[in-house]
Amino acid sequence: MTGITTALIADDEPLLREQLRLRLAKGWPELDIAADAANGALAVSLYETHQPDIVFLDIHMPLMNGLDAAKAISALAKSTRRPVEIVFVTAYDQYAIEAFHRGAIDYVLKPYDIERLSETIDRLKARTQHGVSDIVQRDTSAALANAIRQINEKLQPSSAYLQWIKASVGQTVRLIPIDDVLYFRSDEKYTCVVLDDSEVLIRKSIKELLTELDPNRFWQIHRATIINTRAIAGVVRGSRDQADLKVKGRDEILTVSRNFTHLFKQM
Amino acid sequence: MQTAPSFFLAFFRRLHWHQIILLAGLTTLAVLILMPYFSGGRECAAKLAASALQAYETVCPSDSERFWRLWHRLFIVALVMLVTFLTADLWWRRATDGAARPTLSLLTTQLIAVALGAFVGTVISGLIIGRSLMQMFATDRMFFGILLFTAVGIGIGAVTATLLVYRSRAARADADIAKAESARYELEKQVLASRLKLMQAQIEPHFLFNTLANVQHLTESNPPLASATLQSLITYLRAALPEMREGSSTLGREIKMATAYLDIQKVRMGSRLNVSVTLPEPLAHIPFPPMMLLTLIENAIKHGLDPAPDGGQITITASLTDGMLDVSVADTGRGLSMAKSIGVGLTNIRERLATLYGKAAHLQLTENMPSGVIATISIQQ
Repeated sequence: MTGITTALIADDEPLLREQLRLRLAKGWPELDIAADAANGALAVSLYETHQPDIVFLDIHMPLMNGLDAAKAISALAKSTRRPVEIVFVTAYDQYAIEAFHRGAIDYVLKPYDIERLSETIDRLKARTQHGVSDIVQRDTSAALANAIRQINEKLQPSSAYLQWIKASVGQTVRLIPIDDVLYFRSDEKYTCVVLDDSEVLIRKSIKELLTELDPNRFWQIHRATIINTRAIAGVVRGSRDQADLKVKGRDEILTVSRNFTHLFKQM
Repeated sequence: MQTAPSFFLAFFRRLHWHQIILLAGLTTLAVLILMPYFSGGRECAAKLAASALQAYETVCPSDSERFWRLWHRLFIVALVMLVTFLTADLWWRRATDGAARPTLSLLTTQLIAVALGAFVGTVISGLIIGRSLMQMFATDRMFFGILLFTAVGIGIGAVTATLLVYRSRAARADADIAKAESARYELEKQVLASRLKLMQAQIEPHFLFNTLANVQHLTESNPPLASATLQSLITYLRAALPEMREGSSTLGREIKMATAYLDIQKVRMGSRLNVSVTLPEPLAHIPFPPMMLLTLIENAIKHGLDPAPDGGQITITASLTDGMLDVSVADTGRGLSMAKSIGVGLTNIRERLATLYGKAAHLQLTENMPSGVIATISIQQ
């Protein structure tokens, strides 16, 4: 490879971008820092404009995290057939560090350890200046993709289910954690959300709610009712094939219609 | 001056309805037993005994046979009474399960059942020993015998049912005590659990290392700011490390800790973070539970401003209106997406408020306009 080696730094903390820039200037004076980015999305677009040889990516960044940015950048690099070295920067990410070790992926830790950083610089120098075979490049990108998938699973365990209910109460919009809801009751055009101490109306229908709620925590017990399983105090057999359901801490009794009594069959 | 009738009226009013039924049952039995000893009653009882004897004599000539037949009848009557009593009990439970206010009380149902059982049992036992219905109801003395059995049945029934009610009442009282006890244990467990959660260090290593990286850089580029940031870190650590935290705190102290944390975040985030704090001086001395404000601010940064590329503003406001202390943390960040998990922080605050203040305190989240979240802790003073 000929010419000057270029690099891109992405970190959302301005002082830490500055620090890495200074450290690199000291440890690798010939390296040209082409640009720095304050978030992942900016890093990807700056990569496209500057096409640097090395990208330093912080993992926690707004808009797009370092892992997703790495995925996008390595895809871009593949399409332009231009090798890129990705080095992750992290303060503390147990899972990430484990995954990087397994995939032999480069990373540096903040606060920057001068010795550790100069080892990385030596490795990068060797790879960028002596050229890298295509096979090795493809291998690391597979390891990278694998590691990113693993870390992202660990970092974002948040479920896709509804976690909050937004309800207008007068002028304000209340945010109600889904676990505070005792049950939902269809109320003509609206749905009544019953809480410990109050009731609020939302526009979402029972049908829509069913598709968005965690089916392990919320059960439909009637055409017009969805109950939080946490709020079930007891169920007794009622007349015909129905059952009556008592709600924790409340006086009212909900009807479990025939189609849903199977939920309460004995184990 | 209280007249005699009004005294009795007051006496009966003070009695509970099942005490009245018990009294009535005992009186019925007493009258039946004592009837032979009253002048008019003696005659009547003698007649009754004579007629009953006559009736038996016609079918059973010997004394022992009469005795066994009487026992036989009594046994059948008792059996029928028992069956109706148990059936009524079962039926009542089945029919009223879940209903808050049954139309018939259990005692009434049992009374009716026992009276009915006495009557039906006598009739059945009559049928068994070979009498026809016509004979039983048409013959005065036999009908009288049936009425006598029924009256005894009502008496016994009233007493038995009332005693049973007392027993189940005592059992229920025991159950209530046990329930209250277990509720108390549950509460204690919650207090312990929330204390434990509070004890666990809440400092994220990520935050700590990033802050240290910033300080490391500042020692070279801006030593005075490095020193100030270290001071803020020390203040924050004193609050956030459980071993160094004090059990109670004041609003002023909590806001000071929060400001230290925000000063660090300002160094880290640069122009992406703006902070404004409004704390009226008199409110600084009001007691306030430790770590709650910090948790709200950490949430506002983590879920609100961190994901926003341009950051935003955090506004801390404390106010006291009509005896209600409101401490709110408003951010102009991303807001809570519907699918983002609530996190342990807010749940922990809710639980701690509930254990510390019961219903007198709560945490409420509202949407900030045009974007972000307002989290408010309200404590009744």
